[in-house]
Amino acid sequence: MKVLIVEDEIKTAEYLRQGLSEQGYSVDLALDGIDGQHLALHHDYDVIVLDAMLPGLDGFALLRSLRETKNTPVLMLTARDGTQDRVKGLQEGADDYLVKPFSFNELVARMEAITRRGRIQETTLLRVADLQVDLISRRVARAGQRIDLTAKEFALLALLARRQGQILSKTVIAELVWDMNFDSNTNVVEVAIKRLRAKIDLPFDSSLLHTIRGMGYVMEERGAPH
Amino acid sequence: MVRLTDFRLSIAARLALLFGVVAVVAFSLIALVLNRVLEIELERHQYEQIESRTQDMRYMLLHARPPDIAQRAKDKIDALTPSDGRARYWMWSDDPNYCYGSELPRVLNETSNRSVPPGEQGPQGQQGQQSQQGMIDLDFQGQHLRVIRSALVATPARAAVTLVVGVDTHPFARTAHSFRVALLLITGLGTLVVVALGYWVARLGLAPLVRLSQDAREIGPYNRAQRLQLPSLPLELAQLGASFNAALDRLEEAYRQLSTFNDDVAHELRTPLGNLIGQTQVALTRERDAAQLQELLQSNLEELERLRLIVADMLFLARADQGERASRLVTVSIAHEVAKTAEFLELLLDDAGLTVQVQGDQQASIETSLFRRALTNLLQNAIQYARCGSIITVHISSRETLAHIAISNEGVAIAPDHLQRIFDRFYRVDSSRTQYPQHSGHGLGLAIVKAVASMHQGSVFATSEHGVTTVGFTVALQQQQRQQ
Repeated sequence: MKVLIVEDEIKTAEYLRQGLSEQGYSVDLALDGIDGQHLALHHDYDVIVLDAMLPGLDGFALLRSLRETKNTPVLMLTARDGTQDRVKGLQEGADDYLVKPFSFNELVARMEAITRRGRIQETTLLRVADLQVDLISRRVARAGQRIDLTAKEFALLALLARRQGQILSKTVIAELVWDMNFDSNTNVVEVAIKRLRAKIDLPFDSSLLHTIRGMGYVMEERGAPH
Repeated sequence: MVRLTDFRLSIAARLALLFGVVAVVAFSLIALVLNRVLEIELERHQYEQIESRTQDMRYMLLHARPPDIAQRAKDKIDALTPSDGRARYWMWSDDPNYCYGSELPRVLNETSNRSVPPGEQGPQGQQGQQSQQGMIDLDFQGQHLRVIRSALVATPARAAVTLVVGVDTHPFARTAHSFRVALLLITGLGTLVVVALGYWVARLGLAPLVRLSQDAREIGPYNRAQRLQLPSLPLELAQLGASFNAALDRLEEAYRQLSTFNDDVAHELRTPLGNLIGQTQVALTRERDAAQLQELLQSNLEELERLRLIVADMLFLARADQGERASRLVTVSIAHEVAKTAEFLELLLDDAGLTVQVQGDQQASIETSLFRRALTNLLQNAIQYARCGSIITVHISSRETLAHIAISNEGVAIAPDHLQRIFDRFYRVDSSRTQYPQHSGHGLGLAIVKAVASMHQGSVFATSEHGVTTVGFTVALQQQQRQQ
């Protein structure tokens, strides 16, 4: 996937480039609005990460000129959490926005969401190693053993399994499982993960649900026993 | 370039000018009345003079016995006529013996038989005109006279005679003139005196205002506790002063909050920053293997995440402070929102052995994410302080235009002086900041509830009695459209 980052803060731009490259993106970087506009208009990207405040040409203007010819998904980065900026960005045709300071994996999650948008192929049976999650019958089994989960535990597991390999922050999990879309200070997600882990991981040889300290949780097969 | 504001008058000058206008009007009215009275009096005086002179002559003419009535009458006229010409007599008759004085102006003859309506001015010149009381104005040989004509019918002793007596109006006119000049002077000088006195009185009356402004000038950021001295102020200003003092109280409270807020922000940021710097420095003093470095980075990340949350919450509070209102409103059942939030916190409730009971319901138009955030914070607060195994009650009711959401938990009571400050930023009842409370947030939870309430045109409340602590907030049932 090709991504263009238009960001004038060099440190931010650099870590975004490195982080996204390591996530498998091929990254182009523009440090001001003029370069950004040129690259955005003359190349085809899968997604553009666009800072709102830029020297030369601001993000909103760049977005306007882009939307005249192209439909590339755009994720706006705004420094101010003002409704005005948000509304303006979305009106001008941004697909999503993030308020600085943002966490890197939330950025990745949102980028994936907007690039996937509209072409999600829902499978009804998710597999992670020997774990099976049937989304239709809502049954979960691991190593052939049926596991009983509560509704929320199932929703949490389904989310993690659907996005396996991707780190999900507590905020994202709270939003997608409980529909609580704000940064909460609760440890609800931790407790829920602990309980889920007790059911799907502890009785078995290997762990599938991993904690990434300071970032969130990921479900993947790592091979090493816990 | 002179600006308009440079022409602003002081209140004292304004009052003095107004006093001046009032004085001019009052003095003028008095002068007009006095002038009129004088005119009437002078006219009466003229009339009486003429009338008494006429009476003398009439008496003589009516009662004199022959012979030589004509000659005696003429002699008497001579005797009565003053040498300075202030009064004049004429007499005429068909009998030439009875004619006296230069020939009477023909005009008088012509006009005397016609009655001229009082007040109607005839043409100027040798024109006679009749004034009130039968007096006729007459210009004669450069003199302005006022005359009365009386006819005496013939008697056996003498022929019919017409007697005309006149007085010079000049002395009267002079009196009237002097009087008017005096009135004008009195009006002018009086007005000036009133203006000057008025200015002085106004200054005197406004002295408390000057004192007030001096008092106000002394209030600054370094003596915020200073207030205006109310007892020395007159009633009208005392009210103003009281309002001003109340405003100062509110400002001081806000200032105090802001400055403790700054302290608290510094403190909250300093701890994670200190940890970050310290840990990183320690890690860099030796060669570390990858696992240790990873451990450090993860620890750093946790601190940074905490910083990010504080900054995000402070930005949120700042937006609420700037008057941002809830948008993306939907009309929903509050009980449903409470149930959803309770579901979110279910695991925490389970762990503490608590149950949530919802009483009542209201429909309100709210921004659900904000509303759930406030509910989450309140419920979390209740969970933290609730007695283990008790019931948390969420009571939903409406009063006038507001929906009340009250969350009660059993537990240790909060002292009243704490109670009114629990919504302050970074305020903690136990005030121990030595360690991070593991999961109770960073002291902005209830401040955020307050912000959410104000974004929905509501407010917050808290009570604590009989072992039950109730903390809650209100939101407008119908959000008013924001006036742009």
